Amino acid sequence: MTKISRREFLRLAALTMGGVTLNHLLAGCSPQKSTPELTTDHPLPTAAGAAPESAATTQAANSTANVPAGVPDLVVARNGDPESMVRRAIAALGGMERFVHPGARVIVKPNICVDSHSYEYAATTNPWVVGALVKMALEARARSVRVMDYPFGGTAESAYANSGIQEQVQAAGGEMVTMTGFKYISTEIPAGSALKKTDVYDEILTADVLIDAPVAKHHSMARLTLGMKNLMGVIRNRSALHRNLGQSIADLNSLIRPQLTVIDAVRILMANGPTGGNLNDVKQLDTIVASPDVVAADSYAASFFGLQPADLAYIQAGSAMGLGRSDLSNLKIEELSL
Amino acid sequence: MKKRVKPGWVTTRRVVQYLALALFISLFIAARQNRWPGEVVNIPMRLDPLLGLASALAARTFVAGSVLALITLLLTLVFGRAWCGWLCPLGTVLDLFPFKQARGKRPSPPETWRKVKYLLLLLILSAALFGNMTLLFLDPLAILHRTLSTAIWPALDQIVTASETFLYRIPGFGAPISWLDSKLRPVFLPTEPVFYRDTILFGAFFVGLLALNVLAPRFWCRYLCPLGGLLGLLSRAALFRRAVTEPCQGCKLCSAGCPTGTIDPSKNYASDPAECTLCMECLENCPRSMVQFTPGFSLAEGQPYDPQRREALLTLGAAIGGIALLRSNLLAKRESPFLLRPPGSRENNTDIVAFTRCSRCNLCVRACPTGAIQPAGFEAGLEGFATPVLAPRLGYCNYSCNACGQICPTQAIPALSLEEKRQQVIGKAYINESRCLAWSDHQPCIVCEEMCPLPQKAIQLEVKEVWGPDGIPIELQLPHVLREICIGCGICEYKCPVSGEAAIRVYIPPLEVPF
Repeated sequence: MTKISRREFLRLAALTMGGVTLNHLLAGCSPQKSTPELTTDHPLPTAAGAAPESAATTQAANSTANVPAGVPDLVVARNGDPESMVRRAIAALGGMERFVHPGARVIVKPNICVDSHSYEYAATTNPWVVGALVKMALEARARSVRVMDYPFGGTAESAYANSGIQEQVQAAGGEMVTMTGFKYISTEIPAGSALKKTDVYDEILTADVLIDAPVAKHHSMARLTLGMKNLMGVIRNRSALHRNLGQSIADLNSLIRPQLTVIDAVRILMANGPTGGNLNDVKQLDTIVASPDVVAADSYAASFFGLQPADLAYIQAGSAMGLGRSDLSNLKIEELSL
Repeated sequence: MKKRVKPGWVTTRRVVQYLALALFISLFIAARQNRWPGEVVNIPMRLDPLLGLASALAARTFVAGSVLALITLLLTLVFGRAWCGWLCPLGTVLDLFPFKQARGKRPSPPETWRKVKYLLLLLILSAALFGNMTLLFLDPLAILHRTLSTAIWPALDQIVTASETFLYRIPGFGAPISWLDSKLRPVFLPTEPVFYRDTILFGAFFVGLLALNVLAPRFWCRYLCPLGGLLGLLSRAALFRRAVTEPCQGCKLCSAGCPTGTIDPSKNYASDPAECTLCMECLENCPRSMVQFTPGFSLAEGQPYDPQRREALLTLGAAIGGIALLRSNLLAKRESPFLLRPPGSRENNTDIVAFTRCSRCNLCVRACPTGAIQPAGFEAGLEGFATPVLAPRLGYCNYSCNACGQICPTQAIPALSLEEKRQQVIGKAYINESRCLAWSDHQPCIVCEEMCPLPQKAIQLEVKEVWGPDGIPIELQLPHVLREICIGCGICEYKCPVSGEAAIRVYIPPLEVPF
């Protein structure tokens, strides 16, 4: 056998590496973008089991263990400035300390879907709602509060700035994080029926606390974008969900369990969502809905658009999977007017 | 032997070269989505007198920003081709790849080859006179921009992302890799990879250019560079000249070490100011410090490789003939409907503006954050090589971005306000119903409508009862494009989930639409 000299070896190694790079670049010539192939499948401790009953329990264990008696399932705050409404609603739920323990790593997931408009257009979450959540989490002595979304129109950089969210988050002491491609990990969804596996942003999976902070708005297929649908922002391949959107969103929600959902209905987008752009489509409601139960929060918020929980496929699928409750009449709801 | 007491001119030059290259690359990085203002980022292009002169000739207008090129002209009239030796970033890159070993003792190519750069310059300027800017793709700064945008940066991003993906999954590496990545993106590298379809072509062109250094050091600068040709012509009247004083011993150290090979031992070690880049190597190589750069007013003497009148006339003829040939190709008669241009760069539905104004500098390619703007390979015809085209399947024109017009040094892409840009029609979207998931497969898909950024949505959904996959009627939303309001931003084409060619595509409407 011929011996390979070091120089020869290095040369071959470099050529191989070059070939791999070239291959990547050639792949780039085809219009389909390739996401990096991730091999580690990563079933999570927070993933729901196959039985629907167990799906809701992980979250329940986290957030209801030390719930004082008499605390409502859902709080609606109205007629105040965004920050006061958020503060009052969460206080009524037992305070941020119920969800955020000292030293927790918290992620707030607002809806920052495009960089086209400022928050007045109600396509993105109200910056002061997000800011209040960051402040309260830090007041509950969270170790870190990171805020992130993956916009589909424009770069994260411009969307964070144009929405006004970046300014409020940084003023509150939080951190805006760009969701970068290599951190998406292929993850099984054990309870999923329409969506069984998808690439999920790793930090969402490993955070101690996830706060879901959507803006309530119109969407032509899902009808509305609320808390459950907002979590589509933590995965990359979103178009795969459209085939059976309601069930797929519920499946994703069986994997990603926010400890707290705060729906921004300060200004809501009644039509031409999710991107908006016309102030005539925006309705000022000055309302905040907060609940540890994302299904319940979405069910309540549907009423702002004159819809019933049963009108939204993902709410139906979610309550059928036991992810939360949509029977509003049986929930303990506290309504506050500031 | 006299001890060398010179203050290290070569080192000084190298420092200046690297600083200029670093500045050029910094401006290139900051050009993405106007991180820095366009009129700052495009300063290198506006310093380029070849670009200024050619675009003024072709468009018959003087672009005010090009006045900066007078600085370069003035610099040349004082110091000769110091731009080439001290500032040009492409020249510096060529110096970084000397390929000395590969060259060995090979003699340099014949002196007459130096003529080529003058003829190229003449060809470019006479073509510009007739409104053609095709050969400006050979401008050295444009070459570097194009290569950095389409090849070097995407490759760098691929390497970094692959390493990050690998390391992130090793326990203990997650946090440091995250930290590093947060420093790198989005300032130095894009958050989402950007793809260019002619990466290989532009990359290979650049590698070829470097490889020419094997034949002679700075082969490009000596024989080919049209900007070098322009500055060379001016250098003949430059104030500072290299001079060799007595007593020269004829040791040949200066001529052997001259990177442009212009020191001629048979002419008392004199050099051609049009070739000398003031690199100062000879100053330091001379053991007796006999080389000086002294001021003096005189025109340099002619060289055997200067273009003759006959050759100049032939070049002029070639320009005319070449343009005539380019204009008689298929695209001139029936332009491809898919030949989309950056917002505002078509006038009255014709592409003339892009051809007579665009300097092929490809700054817009870098500025575009989504990779929608691509340098044309051959889809715009030979005449339009390296002009910017919009490729919606690779990237969309973002509704909140007007970076390309702000950065364009020749205003081939007009500097539109964001409001104006949002009104600009690039093309119109058309649904291919036989590929559309909703129309042909009766599957629920509304991605194009969802993505449409227009406040009133140029894509609307018709609810219709159709046959489901099992023959049972279902209600389905079917997309329609309202072409009255569509601006052709292309996000629908970009996001369309079908594989390969999108089921919705932006193109120039089949019937003439006044825009």
